Amino acid sequence: MGLEKDWISLGNMVHKAIKMLEKSNVTLAEAFFTSTRTIEVTIRNSEIFTQNMVDDSGVGFRAVAPRNKVGFACTNTLNEKAILETGEKASDIAKVSSETPNFALPEASKPLKVKGLYDPKIKEVTIEEAVDIAKREITAAEDFDKRVIAKDGRVVFQSGWRGVINTLGVDFGEQETKAVIYLGGSGKQNGEVTGSCSDFMFTRTADLNPEKVGKNVAEMVIALFNPKPLKSFEGTAIFGPEAVSYQIFNTLVDALKGENVIARRSAWTQKTGEMVASENLTITDNAILEKGFDSRSFDDEGCSSQNTTLVKKGKLESFLHNAASANALKSSNTGNASRFSGGLDMTSSIIGNGYRAKPEIYPSNLIIQPGNETKEELAKETAKGILIESMAGFPQAGSGMISAQLSRAFFIQNGEIQYPIKSGMVSGIAFDWLKTISGTGKDSKQFMNAVVPSLRVEEVKVIGA
Amino acid sequence: MEIFDSLERCLQSKAVDQANLVQLRGQKRAMIVCTVKNGIVEQFAHVSLSGIGIRVFVDNKSWGFSSANRIDSDSIELSLKNAVKLAKASSKLKKQKIILQPTKKSIADVSTRVKKPLQDLSVEEIAKIPLEAYEGTKEAESKVADSEATFISIEDNKYFLNSEGSRIHQNLTRVMLFVNVLAKSNSLLCPASENLGYAGGLELFDKDSPYSLGKKVAEKAVKLLDAKAPPSGKFRVVIHPTLCATLLHEAIGHPLEADLAMAGGGFGNQMGEKVSSELVTIYDDGQVQGGLGYFPYDDEGVESKRTYLIKNGVLKSFMHDKTSAALSGVSPTGNAHAWDYSVEPLIRQTNIGIEAGDYSLEEMIEDVKEGLFLEGTFGGQADVNADFTFGFQSAKWIRSGELTEELRGANVAGNAIEVFKTIDAVNKEVVLRPGACGKFQFAVQGRVVPAIRCEIMVGGMGGT
Repeated sequence: MGLEKDWISLGNMVHKAIKMLEKSNVTLAEAFFTSTRTIEVTIRNSEIFTQNMVDDSGVGFRAVAPRNKVGFACTNTLNEKAILETGEKASDIAKVSSETPNFALPEASKPLKVKGLYDPKIKEVTIEEAVDIAKREITAAEDFDKRVIAKDGRVVFQSGWRGVINTLGVDFGEQETKAVIYLGGSGKQNGEVTGSCSDFMFTRTADLNPEKVGKNVAEMVIALFNPKPLKSFEGTAIFGPEAVSYQIFNTLVDALKGENVIARRSAWTQKTGEMVASENLTITDNAILEKGFDSRSFDDEGCSSQNTTLVKKGKLESFLHNAASANALKSSNTGNASRFSGGLDMTSSIIGNGYRAKPEIYPSNLIIQPGNETKEELAKETAKGILIESMAGFPQAGSGMISAQLSRAFFIQNGEIQYPIKSGMVSGIAFDWLKTISGTGKDSKQFMNAVVPSLRVEEVKVIGA
Repeated sequence: MEIFDSLERCLQSKAVDQANLVQLRGQKRAMIVCTVKNGIVEQFAHVSLSGIGIRVFVDNKSWGFSSANRIDSDSIELSLKNAVKLAKASSKLKKQKIILQPTKKSIADVSTRVKKPLQDLSVEEIAKIPLEAYEGTKEAESKVADSEATFISIEDNKYFLNSEGSRIHQNLTRVMLFVNVLAKSNSLLCPASENLGYAGGLELFDKDSPYSLGKKVAEKAVKLLDAKAPPSGKFRVVIHPTLCATLLHEAIGHPLEADLAMAGGGFGNQMGEKVSSELVTIYDDGQVQGGLGYFPYDDEGVESKRTYLIKNGVLKSFMHDKTSAALSGVSPTGNAHAWDYSVEPLIRQTNIGIEAGDYSLEEMIEDVKEGLFLEGTFGGQADVNADFTFGFQSAKWIRSGELTEELRGANVAGNAIEVFKTIDAVNKEVVLRPGACGKFQFAVQGRVVPAIRCEIMVGGMGGT
């Protein structure tokens, strides 16, 4: 029970450090701390590659010097001297930081306890069980069809605690568990190698279905055999949940982040109340979703969680906020401070996340309201179009420009999904695509920070090889 | 070196006898991050991390890895026992025996060459570095909607011990400066960015000052506001080293990593065959002084060296760790790297390079009737079959051998193996570029790159 002991002693030391900072010349202070144990089995090239177990506990302090100057320091050295010194370091750095007039931390509130975030079974999972699940993923994929190769995969069980304390009275802790199974595969047939296809489950419970994940990957891979080249055209594109969860999600987040609105970097700056998308698009951010993968009772700076409507039938209703951005824009805090934002930028990759990072604004579970149609039904009225299940290439920050390679895409003709596409690109401004959404699927899927369905978009430019 | 002593004691544990090989890693890492957004110190962070990562190989079949952020003897021994248990958990399932080649015993203490140590600066002076870059961006202020400059320093003390008698201490210092600028005019947004990165000290800024970097990026972003959108389709292109670095890393580098190659990647079974234009010679070298991928030893204790991957277009070697080397019947190449103590080493590039060719940049452009000159990178990704996509920041039309209109950025895509066969000119000058990679875990790397000329698919939105 080493981890529980670490959590308790870390909590005691962090409380002492906050008391010390309270007595010093800081106006506000905050500590975010976690203790986690992660068991992971990785798969490479049809085999179990390795088994890992990682224990990690640490704390990040934010100290605010007079005139709202903020400093951050963190450590994972679990002794009182190191933790008090880290608190002081944050305070020293704060003194030389810039003034940030609108900086704020949340006041104490009573968070609603979100259900389904902890499953004691995950804490008890043995390494043998995790290996078995990984093996079942591989078998399910490769036994389904001999042409399929399980290339890489993961089985992850994580359990731990997350806590926030600040000098305004916030003092919350929450125990949680997470499980992820992932499998990526490709196929080989007569010298032809397909691109990779992947499926996964992000859950809070130990009820995993590796057979389903394996079979899904195999089916995706087989569907990519015998691709045909494509000629450039402009027409209907159906973006599958995976494509929506990556490029389209990222452009939405970019436009919805409160800090981007303040910096006027958001394409939706000053558009609250205006139509920014087709009537078919409704987006919420639901941090209190039962069993939601990124649900939480309080955000990573201690604001109570909520369900926020962001876009309602195409009309922009709200942005995503933390305490500081809400204060700057005189809006209410939506509880979107996150230390696990998974940013693509170098800085967050280098620092790491959790206690190692100051919070960013990020969705919890960004939900696009699903429709009533299957993908096949969405394709029914399309004379000529494309189904894009996944594409590769980062969207351009700010502008919403996506020019992406079609990594798993199918040609649609006369209302039917015909054949896989050999190579090609899709290019356009995601914000324009949102305005021409003509249908949403009923195939919603849970991703790390999103639950999204297929979207059918008109007038999309597709580039052939 | 208290970590060394604790790790050494751990090697006396009985659990060691159950393993074919034990690799013990300890690390202390101190990072400073200072981000200035639009003139305001938006983030100033001090990150102090320490921990151990223990990897064991058992039954000539299976690896296990266990890590903790405690460095006392008891915790280390517990992690070792866990690692053995983890490794045993899958060894029964594995059919294939792997006989790892013994690692050459190394007793070493190495450091990055640092001329101007970071420790000489106060926190105020550190903050001045990105602030100075911001001052540079103000030169083009009226249309700069947003600017961000981030200074990062990483100081690592890495300790490596194995059951074969090696004992290696590496003190590695890295400094980086990233500048991102967004220019805006009406609804048009144009981003531009540039990074400096170096294994060493603050002498990084002797050649390019933070101010000049800020100015250069801001001017670029503003200039792009008046540029047209790039066209779409297949073009003959001259690729500037900034973009060539991404192409090399993503499109060719990844398929040359043995783990990806063994997964049925693009270069699969073509050892000794011609896989690229004969003008192309590619290597990986962890000993490039100053390169962000400067690692004298890898995280399996293998000394790094220059490995020729493709020589005059012929496939010579993949990048290997001990496991892939054993499976392929070759020696490891020093490419096993872990981002930090908490993750296991994987096959990674260090400083990947293309050897210089014979062409001047003028000559490369002169021969192009209609094509594009592509510059700057927004990063990208590649699949095992060598399909890739990545972004360029700006371009110019080449018409009748001359650079003409300026164009904005977009993405390029294609299959690397196809694209590299079309290379018909390599520049005679190479530059050392900073790079990063996110294959399963993060890594900082270097790239040594010339400009190249080839054919590539461009996904722009403009016309000709």
